[in-house]
Amino acid sequence: MSGSRLLNLPRPARVRMGPGGVPRTVDGRQIEQVRESWLIEDRWWTGRPLRRRYWEIMSAQGRNLVVFHDLCSGEWFSQAG
Amino acid sequence: MVVCVHLPRFELTVAAGGAEALAGHALAIAPAPGGEARVGEVSGAAEAQGVTRGMALGEALARCPRLRLVAGDPLGVAQEWGRAARALEGIGAALELPRAGLAYFESDGLLGLHGGEEGVVAAARQALRRPVRVGAGPTRFCALAAALEVRSRRARIVAPSFAQGGAFAARGSVPHGSARDAHSTQPDHRAARRYLASRPVTLLGFRAETAALVEPLARLGIDTLGELAALGRDAVADRFGAPGVLARRLARGEDDPLRTHIAEERLRESLELEEANSGPALERVLGVLVDRLLARPERRGRTLRALTLSARLVEGGTWRERVVLREALSDPRRMRLALAPRLALLPAPAAYLRLEAERFGPPEGAQGALFDPDPTSPARREEHRGRLREAVAQVRAAAGPEAALRAVCVDPDSRVPERRVVFTPFPG
Repeated sequence: MSGSRLLNLPRPARVRMGPGGVPRTVDGRQIEQVRESWLIEDRWWTGRPLRRRYWEIMSAQGRNLVVFHDLCSGEWFSQAG
Repeated sequence: MVVCVHLPRFELTVAAGGAEALAGHALAIAPAPGGEARVGEVSGAAEAQGVTRGMALGEALARCPRLRLVAGDPLGVAQEWGRAARALEGIGAALELPRAGLAYFESDGLLGLHGGEEGVVAAARQALRRPVRVGAGPTRFCALAAALEVRSRRARIVAPSFAQGGAFAARGSVPHGSARDAHSTQPDHRAARRYLASRPVTLLGFRAETAALVEPLARLGIDTLGELAALGRDAVADRFGAPGVLARRLARGEDDPLRTHIAEERLRESLELEEANSGPALERVLGVLVDRLLARPERRGRTLRALTLSARLVEGGTWRERVVLREALSDPRRMRLALAPRLALLPAPAAYLRLEAERFGPPEGAQGALFDPDPTSPARREEHRGRLREAVAQVRAAAGPEAALRAVCVDPDSRVPERRVVFTPFPG
């Protein structure tokens, strides 16, 4: 049997941004509303810092989503909050 | 490194009575009695005539009129494959056995024992003592591709490359701070992806989850795994769903960890049948086998969790059925009740019946209370825990060791969501 596995790993997401880096579409789904946004900075004292801008958003279909922009690599990911 | 051991056309070789019978002859495993009229595994000569596994019998005979059908032998295949698996376990390998004729194991823990990758491969060959294709690579799928590429006497080893520091995180599709960049000794997928890029998509046919994609991919003009890997994840997911996403991951050199099977001793009892080859008489024979199995001293009081019922049929061929009991038992009456309905699945009268204990449960002796105890009492809580353990063990017996996991909060207040909870094996 394999060992422990992390739960809730980020999954790559396809995001189109609007002004100010606000997500406009996520995986082709139109975004209706931004509920909250927050910044996480961690491991800044190491050679591999973690910098993420999280967005809690609601799609036009009424679905709650959490995505983040990896400010180090420039890639977008979706993740349950 | 994952090592793949592949014995080509294993089922057909066993059913035909040896590899010599296949040489130059167009053979195929006949459809099971009462089942769909499609051929099973086919020989090289039949394949050269355009006959493939799973083809409708009529079409196969139209393409190759001299095709000879061989009755399937699931019982013989299970026995022969069991012997091969035990031989591989004898060199210290923890095996994943997706089907008869195909085995995977991790070589990392065996390198010191056998003297490097080549030593491990040589030990596997020596243990099996038959022509076998061996490949090794960073992932299961890559190792399979390597094994299929080589001839019997050689092995193909696809060496992984390892990421250095932050370079891996910067290039990979995993963000900083996630699981992979925390373990810099994890092989990256570039070596596997490079190796797989020029291989045909027909390799996906060796994996049950992705086998159905081979034909539509070919129709779309996607011939190599490199072409598949270059497609966007969303486009593949939209067209093919979860199997497509898995196929793309495999083509990109990604794969899940091996799910190794637990080696356990097996007990078996069998009887040659004279007249009692069907109906109530056969049920009585089954009762005798159950009693004899439970009387075996090697059982050491343990209950039985999973059994295999197999038979050799009067008109040729064999039959095999695995039964996972709802709870581990040692009561012959309840075992008979669970097993007897399976005899109705026999496609023809049996000449020989065998019952094999595959997995064991805890020792017998658990007794129910005469009166319903207080629901808050320690005895009741212990009973609930026992039932939960039993349920976990049943799920694992039916669906593999990773079927029951426990979510453990390791850092619930972490601001980084993936650091809060991990899956760990559920204590059975």
